[in-house]
Amino acid sequence: MRFVLAVSALVLLAQRPAAAAGLTLPGQLAELQIHGFISQGFLLTSANDYLAHSSEGSFEFTEIGLNFTLPATDRLTLGLQIFSHDLGPIGDYRATLDWYSLDYHWRDWLGIRAGRVKLPFGLYNDSSDIDAARTSVLLPQSIYPAQNRDFLLAQTGGEVYGYRDLGAAGGLDYRLYGGTIFLDVKQQPGSPFTVVDLNVPFVAGGRMLWVPPIEGLRLGGSLQFLRLETHLLPASSSSSVAVNIPVMLWVASVEYTVRDLLFAAEYSRWRVRAQSSNPAMFPESLTFSERGYALTSYRVNSWLQAGAYYSVLFPNTNQRGGFAGRQLDAALTLRFDVNAYWLVKVEGHYMHGTAGLSPSLNGNRPLSSLTPDWALFTVKTTAFF
Amino acid sequence: MRIGAFILVGLAAGSLTAEHPRSTYVLIANPASRVSKIDRKFLAEVFLRRATRWPDETPIQPVDLGPDAPARARFSQEILSRSVASVRSYWQQRIFSGQGLPPPELADDEAVVSFVASHPGAIGYVAAGTPLSGATVLELN
Repeated sequence: MRFVLAVSALVLLAQRPAAAAGLTLPGQLAELQIHGFISQGFLLTSANDYLAHSSEGSFEFTEIGLNFTLPATDRLTLGLQIFSHDLGPIGDYRATLDWYSLDYHWRDWLGIRAGRVKLPFGLYNDSSDIDAARTSVLLPQSIYPAQNRDFLLAQTGGEVYGYRDLGAAGGLDYRLYGGTIFLDVKQQPGSPFTVVDLNVPFVAGGRMLWVPPIEGLRLGGSLQFLRLETHLLPASSSSSVAVNIPVMLWVASVEYTVRDLLFAAEYSRWRVRAQSSNPAMFPESLTFSERGYALTSYRVNSWLQAGAYYSVLFPNTNQRGGFAGRQLDAALTLRFDVNAYWLVKVEGHYMHGTAGLSPSLNGNRPLSSLTPDWALFTVKTTAFF
Repeated sequence: MRIGAFILVGLAAGSLTAEHPRSTYVLIANPASRVSKIDRKFLAEVFLRRATRWPDETPIQPVDLGPDAPARARFSQEILSRSVASVRSYWQQRIFSGQGLPPPELADDEAVVSFVASHPGAIGYVAAGTPLSGATVLELN
């Protein structure tokens, strides 16, 4: 029923001829801008369940967003976005405040946002929900894993941002942030532990993008620190184990746009340490993961784009051997813009390795027992205004 | 097979035809901005909303033509070095991540002239030959 409603809304939205809705407020207040999007996708894998129960085909791939932005003065902007999604076991169509902020743009080189703010990590993390903004259906999952959306997408706190003109050297775009992440604990079926609580005392980081005087080129780096604190109750014990997980992530990024052709490449390493109050129950560890991709897309004309990328994921650099220690993903996409407010995408992936798969989606089978070479086919349609 | 043929026709059509017919345009600003020349890089930053104030601190109010206007296509390619569709993707990213709003898109050249003439700090572009009553022509450095 929910799927039928979502598709009905999509069709209605797609037929809407106008651009963003505007609502004029009384008095001296500026116009309230209303934008929205709705997406419905389908996932099918030749083997293994990926993101959803995809081996049998899954429509559990839905996103709906509605945002309201009010430029209250020429320096102060208020905004919020309501978001609901479903992707296999995550989302479940719960409506959440995706972001909300008070944005004070004091100077072009210094602004402040307070509230829940999208995390600037890499080139595309803060826009990863926005299907209309890219060619591919799925961003390279090595750096932008959809399964980690709740951890990596937004933080509640504040950020300073700005753009500094460097004259002949181009310009510098920067964002620095600090805050916390509120997580909704969901028990993984088959897990040997029950999560008693889970907190993120802090998340902090920044992104700097240099826009050199070569048109269309962006070079940058992002760094993020966060700490997870959790208490886990083992199935075989009545006392919980305290686990602290400090994490450091960084990514180096390059993007070059020339006319209708786009190249992007990113390389990232994530350092995850697990500190345990009871190493016998929950072992301590230090893990480095390595991630990267190269991507290209080309806009053939006003209604057709083609894209391709190759993405690699090594969740533990000390265990690269064996197909369970890696996931290599070669993807091809065609995007059809039916009109300025409605698009359809078709995408195929050839995957080697199982490191990006979720054991809980695959009957809690070890990753080494899953099919090493498999394919993913996905179709997605999005309407937006 | 049919899908393949459809895609091939699309690729061929795309490579043979331009996205929009080309048209020359004229840059215009509100006379109160007291600006007669503008740097191309600064102009691009204004329309991407990275630069938001004139040198005298007046807020800049850029205004676009609609996505199908030939002058918009030429302005996007020459000043922003991107197609109109690429610029719209850029704004999709900004809007839905809470980073900002695009310049308003007005229906035609006359509406842009009227907006620019009546809003201090406003800047826009219109097809060459459009009557510019109340707006000042800007020269590109």
